[in-house]
Amino acid sequence: MRETQAIVERIKRVNRGYQRLELAVDRSLSSLLPGQALLTRRISKDYEAENWHPYLRDLWFPVDILASNMLVVERPAREQFVPGQLLSILGPIGKPLRFRQKLRNLLLLAYETPPTPLLLMLPHLLAQGTSLTMVTLGAARDYDCTHLPEEVEIIQASDDHNWHDMVMTLGWADQVFVLVGAGPEQTQFAEVMRLIRSRRNDVPANMIFGIFQRLLPCGVGACQACMLPVRGSAKLQCLDGPAFDLTQLRLA
Amino acid sequence: MAIEIARPAKTSLIVQTPVMPAAGTLGFADEYRGLIDYANLGALVTNPTTIEPWQPAAGTRIVSLDAGMLVHTGLPNPGLGALIRQYRRVWAKMPIPVVLHLLGTTPDQAKRAVELLDAVDEVAAVELGLGDDMGIAEASALVRAAAAVEKPLLVRLPFYECYDLALPVAEAGADALVMTAAPRGTARDAQGGRLVSGRIYGPLIKPLVLRMVGRLRRELPADIPIIGCGGIHSPLDARDYIEAGAAAVQVDTATWVQPKMLERIARDLGGWIATRHADALLDEWHPDMGRTEALQGRGTG
Repeated sequence: MRETQAIVERIKRVNRGYQRLELAVDRSLSSLLPGQALLTRRISKDYEAENWHPYLRDLWFPVDILASNMLVVERPAREQFVPGQLLSILGPIGKPLRFRQKLRNLLLLAYETPPTPLLLMLPHLLAQGTSLTMVTLGAARDYDCTHLPEEVEIIQASDDHNWHDMVMTLGWADQVFVLVGAGPEQTQFAEVMRLIRSRRNDVPANMIFGIFQRLLPCGVGACQACMLPVRGSAKLQCLDGPAFDLTQLRLA
Repeated sequence: MAIEIARPAKTSLIVQTPVMPAAGTLGFADEYRGLIDYANLGALVTNPTTIEPWQPAAGTRIVSLDAGMLVHTGLPNPGLGALIRQYRRVWAKMPIPVVLHLLGTTPDQAKRAVELLDAVDEVAAVELGLGDDMGIAEASALVRAAAAVEKPLLVRLPFYECYDLALPVAEAGADALVMTAAPRGTARDAQGGRLVSGRIYGPLIKPLVLRMVGRLRRELPADIPIIGCGGIHSPLDARDYIEAGAAAVQVDTATWVQPKMLERIARDLGGWIATRHADALLDEWHPDMGRTEALQGRGTG
């Protein structure tokens, strides 16, 4: 974990709701892996001209690594950036996602939130020959996936969270990553788990992981605001997360 | 420069710079290693600790506000005994004094806690946090029980009861007063849609607490040090507290937003106080000055 600075080099609109920022970052961040994130805030060149609004740092999950010091992040198009914008970055935050050794079919579920934190893993897993399916549920369906790799199967669920071949999609998956929207995430994870259990008899441990994206005030385990009750112990999203086995979590 | 920031007791709390983190912001030990050089701070004040383990709060814990935040973590901690076992080796290696923040509940618990802490050499002082809505009699009894500790006892006053409690708490045995705990407030969690209560942090807290520090400095006996705590986000904020009569300051959530700010304030205030005592011009010191540059400036490099 280090505090470094980054510069917005390029800005590119990727769909109607999102833009991608190419960031020149410290080389220490080029080894960042899927699941790890950055705590970011805009800064000015003049240290004394510090602006305390917005106050909290944003949690950014990079979507691509272009070179040894270039990261790509995806932000809502409504957020205004200009090339040359300075950023203060704390990171990397969290642990990399752990994939099964013989992963053949990976299912990604985005519920009520854009799937951005899931995107960095796509090129890596496709290169390994993993079959990838991404299902968008609820408000996640508003996310335009046309810029994602063609090899990723994209499924939009219906209003009642069903989709064609749902039993097969859930049954074939060796591993599942679930992303939910902001708010009472444990309730939303519980809804997704009910959905999965309604179509699949066995849900073993270490198969379905929820990715948390709570507000992180400190990112180093000091404030303890991101503490989660995991069976047998308490875990911190910023140090132990962002992915937790949903069968081990106390869900609402 | 050695500064004593608590009334002389059986032991003293001496710091090199009168700047430390507020309880609850820097963790229990060295969580900020790699981001902050602890040697540049005056002391480490730990996260709040209770005799029994406390679990994290359910529901929303953080609400983002305009230029600030609302925090309601539930103050999770493993309990004092487990905490000491877990961290005393790390505390022993810290380059600065460790001040353990003890959350006050009942006199019995305070007494049990200080008996435990007196046997822990790695803890240099105890900071007792008083609960909100505590009456004078209740707070005095708690402080009297905690004052049995042989280490310096700092007492953090609740925001709304600060004026009422300051003198009784000082008379009950506090060696320094920390003003104050962050005020409580309620805000709507935009993500969850519910109203959430918790403590409010941000730059706007500073003018409120600064006034308290100034007024109570005039009213309290001169030998009771005041440690200012609330809304400090820059070296100038910290200087304002010293000017209002504080002997030292505690920096809270500014560290989460800009981790280097705490160290910067510590270096600024340490240098400012040193140069002030030496009758040096203020512009001979600035917090970004490297040690070599500072030594060269004094003709000793």
